Amino acid sequence: MYVFKCFINYGKEEEWLSEMSKKGYELVKACFGYTFKKITPEEAIYRIDYRQFKTIADFIDYCTLFEDSGWKHIIGSKSSGTQYFKKLRPDSDDDIFSDNMSKAGRYKRVSKMWGTLAATYIPITIALITTNSIGYKAFLNPKILYYTPGLWEKTGIKFIGSFLFETPFALMRVLPLLLFPIMLTLFIIFYYKAEKLAKETMKSM
Amino acid sequence: MKRDKNLPLTETTYYILLSLLEPAHGYFIMQKIEELSEGQVRLAAGTLYGAIENLIKLEFIMPIPSEDKRRKVYQITEKGKEILKLDLERMQHMVSITQKALD
Repeated sequence: MYVFKCFINYGKEEEWLSEMSKKGYELVKACFGYTFKKITPEEAIYRIDYRQFKTIADFIDYCTLFEDSGWKHIIGSKSSGTQYFKKLRPDSDDDIFSDNMSKAGRYKRVSKMWGTLAATYIPITIALITTNSIGYKAFLNPKILYYTPGLWEKTGIKFIGSFLFETPFALMRVLPLLLFPIMLTLFIIFYYKAEKLAKETMKSM
Repeated sequence: MKRDKNLPLTETTYYILLSLLEPAHGYFIMQKIEELSEGQVRLAAGTLYGAIENLIKLEFIMPIPSEDKRRKVYQITEKGKEILKLDLERMQHMVSITQKALD
């Protein structure tokens, strides 16, 4: 079963995954949404960390440390960032962090990633807006996106017909340019949310 | 004399350095800390991993070659021993002045 969902708060994501397993769905894949497999309902505890590794040896060492201490690494790779763990034994600890500093650290690392992405998108977006005459002018005068000769002189049903016919093409001309500012805005929002969560985590308990 | 900016060590850091006077891998460090602290300090995997990473950056500990392919083994460095001794002296001083004050 595939579910599309987006979390920024790891705590809420962990809770939701536990609820899903109570309903009989076990997480198997987490890439642009979540894929579950049907199981007999169980009480399971999931924990999420955010880390990228320089070498495969570092990644294996990391996974082994968690496995030794009772957490099975279920999803994630050397450079995937998000790492999912499932509690293996009832007697092991209930969390993969034992203090607020390290618990907030995962939000710090993820916010750094969004910040870097935003920083690389800023010059691209500026370059697109300043050099691409169509995209820039279209914000002031959307009429130039329509190429049909004499479109604006037509009237009545003829105008509506031609206008509606070309609108999808006009949108296609401007969407690729809008994509960068939209992505940039999203990255900045994610950056601030992660920073906020890091601060909240530091203060909690 | 100006105090080393890494002092005082956190309880976690102190225990990790103490347990790495002998070579050990991650999970062994966790067990040793629990034993040394008589069950008072229990480190979770994610917290320990971050602490180890930080201590390597500070050059207080270093990875050493080992036969275990899946687990990295670490040991304290001379710099690490030095800071551990400095923190011990700091605490000894605190203990002695507190005892005098309370007597």
